[in-house]
Amino acid sequence: MMTMSNAYIEEFPAEAKVVRTAFYSAFLALALGGVFGIVQTLHRTGYYRFIDSADYYTVLTAHGVFLVISFTIFFLVGVFTWAVTTSLDRGLEDLRFTWGWYGLMAIGITLSGVAILAGFTDATDISASVLFTFYAPLQGHPMFYLGLVLFVVGTWLAGADWFRSWWAWKQENPDERIPLPTFMVLTTMLMWYIATLGVAAAILLFLLPWSLGLIDSVNPLLTRTLFWFFGHPVVYFWLMPAYMMWYVMLPKVSGGKLFSDPLARVVFVLFLILSVPTGIHHQYLDPGIAEGFKFIAMTNTMFLLLPSLLTAFTVVASMEHGARQRGGKGYFGWLKALPWRDPVFTGMALAGLMFAAAGFSGMINAGMNINYLVHNTFWVVGHFHLTVGTAVALTFMAVTYWFLPQITGKELWSRSVALGQVVLWFVGMTFMSNAMHRAGLLGVPRRTAEPQYEGFEFEAAVGSMGELQAQIALGGVLLTLSLVLFFANVFGTALNGRSDDLPANEYADALSGPEDAPLVLDNLKLWTGIAIVLVIFAYTFPLLSIIDRGGLLGPEIIPLPVFIESPALLVGAVEQLTAGTLESIRPVLEVSR
Amino acid sequence: MRISKAGLLVVLALLAPLLVELRTVLSWVNVELTVLETGLVGAVLVVAILVWAFLPENGNGKTTEGDASSEN
Repeated sequence: MMTMSNAYIEEFPAEAKVVRTAFYSAFLALALGGVFGIVQTLHRTGYYRFIDSADYYTVLTAHGVFLVISFTIFFLVGVFTWAVTTSLDRGLEDLRFTWGWYGLMAIGITLSGVAILAGFTDATDISASVLFTFYAPLQGHPMFYLGLVLFVVGTWLAGADWFRSWWAWKQENPDERIPLPTFMVLTTMLMWYIATLGVAAAILLFLLPWSLGLIDSVNPLLTRTLFWFFGHPVVYFWLMPAYMMWYVMLPKVSGGKLFSDPLARVVFVLFLILSVPTGIHHQYLDPGIAEGFKFIAMTNTMFLLLPSLLTAFTVVASMEHGARQRGGKGYFGWLKALPWRDPVFTGMALAGLMFAAAGFSGMINAGMNINYLVHNTFWVVGHFHLTVGTAVALTFMAVTYWFLPQITGKELWSRSVALGQVVLWFVGMTFMSNAMHRAGLLGVPRRTAEPQYEGFEFEAAVGSMGELQAQIALGGVLLTLSLVLFFANVFGTALNGRSDDLPANEYADALSGPEDAPLVLDNLKLWTGIAIVLVIFAYTFPLLSIIDRGGLLGPEIIPLPVFIESPALLVGAVEQLTAGTLESIRPVLEVSR
Repeated sequence: MRISKAGLLVVLALLAPLLVELRTVLSWVNVELTVLETGLVGAVLVVAILVWAFLPENGNGKTTEGDASSEN
């Protein structure tokens, strides 16, 4: 007998279409970014070079922007839409508005993407090979910046959409605590609003007018600092949806409950207040920013370990609870009772494990003194392939296997292929990121098409450079195969027929629920106020100092080559120098005589 | 089997970070393995894990896997 399922698509068919469209947009970006990933891996390691090395930077920009802007953010707006509608148990207030912000994001990223890809052809002057970190002095076509502005404004409106849902729900439920998934969405978006002020200022006040020729120059240090004002918290914009999945989904698929709802709220509040005043830790080697400001950024960054460690504890405790509900016993024996057959669980568990390693390399990046050892080396690339490249991307791919049936109404094409995919990603990333970290310790630079130099060999402490390159290439190939398996499942599922036997749209209950959380945790105005005060403390003086030294639009430009105006002046200067030198050595000459 | 097939797959996957890091750790005590030697150590570990996994538990051949109820 056919039965109606309680899947998301049955409850919220219109919203499911929004989530599905956002996810498919994310997957398109993932496919493009993945292709550029393997191209640059094989090029950099020297195994297969079919592009010009000058085009490497266009490839690198496309890889970065498509993956860490398009893939992650399109996916997370889908997850957040699901989270708000499911946990408030109400549809979005106005779907035309929802499609409006999605459309703005899509148009924006298309403009930026076209500007980047146009860099491959000489048929047009358009290009934007400015890397994901698009600060001056690299300059892109105005279309690139305009696209980014539209994309970010789209995310702002998406946040407004979710706040609107919450306000409407609050009118009807004035005494209820904010449901945990919605609380996570709101705190993340508040952080995002503050963080994106930096990049909005950098683009609208400086980079876009500069690119349009309205102003002649910019202050590079100022645009760098404004970029990193946004550039570090954007990391948490990627991570917080992954954390949300670890909190509300992982305990459920483990067979248990979330260990503590209050701890989860504390974690998201800490991310809201601490994510932004840390960006200067990306600029430890920038001259022009006083050491004291860098020290403040380091201190704030180290405090950010706290929510990550709280998460590690809460998530593992929740998994253990689930395993014991499934009959697991012993100190470590419960691990065997976890649902390793389920790709949703295994993918998230392996992503979390990789994130622990990323935390350790992140501590090294964040330490002011030890950062000098790894700054701008391949180590940093290894680090963020563990964070956004695994903790976030692998979690997103793993939960896709839960979401796909929910938003399409169709059964997953193959759980076995899905399991193989997440495990293959873990193995591939192990090889690649380990070798990247080790190469960084040898001083191998990042953002370089050909890190092979004539007359100079990097000396590996263990093994050889050749082995490290092979390990990176092997990892890249395994990751690409993993992506192929992922897309096979996405396509296979899309081609499946509708099923009425799907799991219900649910998320994890909590052992210690919101009733145990102090009310103050839901005071979003208070936490936003504290976040703004911390940002003012961390950034006012560095920004004033940078503007004071380098000018708002950069120092006065001196055209090169620099000439001394008058030859007579030069002759005079040489005469004066010679006379002074002779005078100073006269006693020596007299003694020797 | 002492472990589920999926569990075994994950255990074998976890060998990857163990092996690549083991090479570095051993170098601290002046034991420097070549890639081939590391591969051999890996192969020995894989065989040992497979033998352990496929040995019947308590002699009755019963699996311990708890995955049957993971269809969520």
